Amino acid sequence: MKRVSLLVLLLLIVSLAACASSDSAESGEMVIENVQANMAMPSDTGSVWVKITNNTGQDDALIGAEMAGCGAIELHNMFMENDVMIMREVEGGQIPIPAGETVELKQGGLHIMCIGKEAPLELGSSIDVALNFTNAGTMTVSATVVEPGTMNMDGDSGGMKMDN
Amino acid sequence: MKKRLTVNDLRLAIYDLRFAPVYAFILFLAIMITGCGQTAVSESEREFAGALVNSPQPVPDFTLTSADGPVSLSDFAGKYVFLYFGYTFCPDVCPGTLSNLAAVRQELGEDGDNMQVIMISVDPERDTPEVLEKYVAHFDPTFLGITGSKEEIDAAGEPLGIFYEIHEGSAASGYLVDHTARAFLIDPEGNARVAYPHDAPRDGIVADLKWFLAQE
Ligand SMILES: [Cu+2]
Repeated sequence: MKRVSLLVLLLLIVSLAACASSDSAESGEMVIENVQANMAMPSDTGSVWVKITNNTGQDDALIGAEMAGCGAIELHNMFMENDVMIMREVEGGQIPIPAGETVELKQGGLHIMCIGKEAPLELGSSIDVALNFTNAGTMTVSATVVEPGTMNMDGDSGGMKMDN
Repeated sequence: MKKRLTVNDLRLAIYDLRFAPVYAFILFLAIMITGCGQTAVSESEREFAGALVNSPQPVPDFTLTSADGPVSLSDFAGKYVFLYFGYTFCPDVCPGTLSNLAAVRQELGEDGDNMQVIMISVDPERDTPEVLEKYVAHFDPTFLGITGSKEEIDAAGEPLGIFYEIHEGSAASGYLVDHTARAFLIDPEGNARVAYPHDAPRDGIVADLKWFLAQE
């Protein structure tokens, strides 16, 4: 029994340490995790993925974002219909983050879209992203530059899970 | 088992995945009744990382333009060709597919020389052959990026059931292009064999290609 509880404690410490080392920021109780910038390819666009958990007790919405090197930034959604990929700006230009819920902007779905990307960013480097919320205000977080693909499907970078 | 299928049948078969179990069952029945070959059984029983194209038939040849001149599908007879239709403005599904295929080629080592990845842009207005060359080279120096007029793109896409449509965007994006997000594996004889969804696992594609190479 003792060994089991020791193991549980150890796991808890390890997971807490993992949380602390991930790129997360807290403002009130809006938790921002897994911030990834898909900005390495030589093209006019890029995207940012992020996991947002609203523990503030009141409904909120992501209404925009800012980062250097983009001509414009929009909030987009992407979905598949009969194998056809469709990308659209989100309705009303904002992504609701209801109280008590986690909304994940991730590959193949919701994303912060960088249009008119000035230059590709180096894989593994970091870039600051300011997230604008209706209630929580502006939260600036650091995003890691990643390559898209099935390795990153679950929002993890380089096979390292940070959210469990 | 040998039955002539029209191009349209092929298109429907790969397009309508909901019927995949039905096709598998028909194939199973046909094999049970005719008692035909070993290869057919293993292929129908094998789980591929994408939708298996039943009764494969040759993809009609086409010619589009790369930064280094015209490129035809028939240039790659004898190779396994991955054909992907997309556009560089697409932020993750298209680059994700190319990055997966680059990893597949790496993983295959020497066998990777038996494959050729070709991206066909359905956005020739923004994706000139020069833009495409730079884009695909970011993923793998052997990848080819080609495009052409609407007629030329359609000649390549229609036999594979490729759909694409321009949709008006914002002042910043201008326009967006909805498009079929599947990578088609075409065998050395020019037959479409597997249609991979954009999120097909890399190791699954590697296993499929190894399997095809082992059948030769
Ligand atoms: Cu987008």
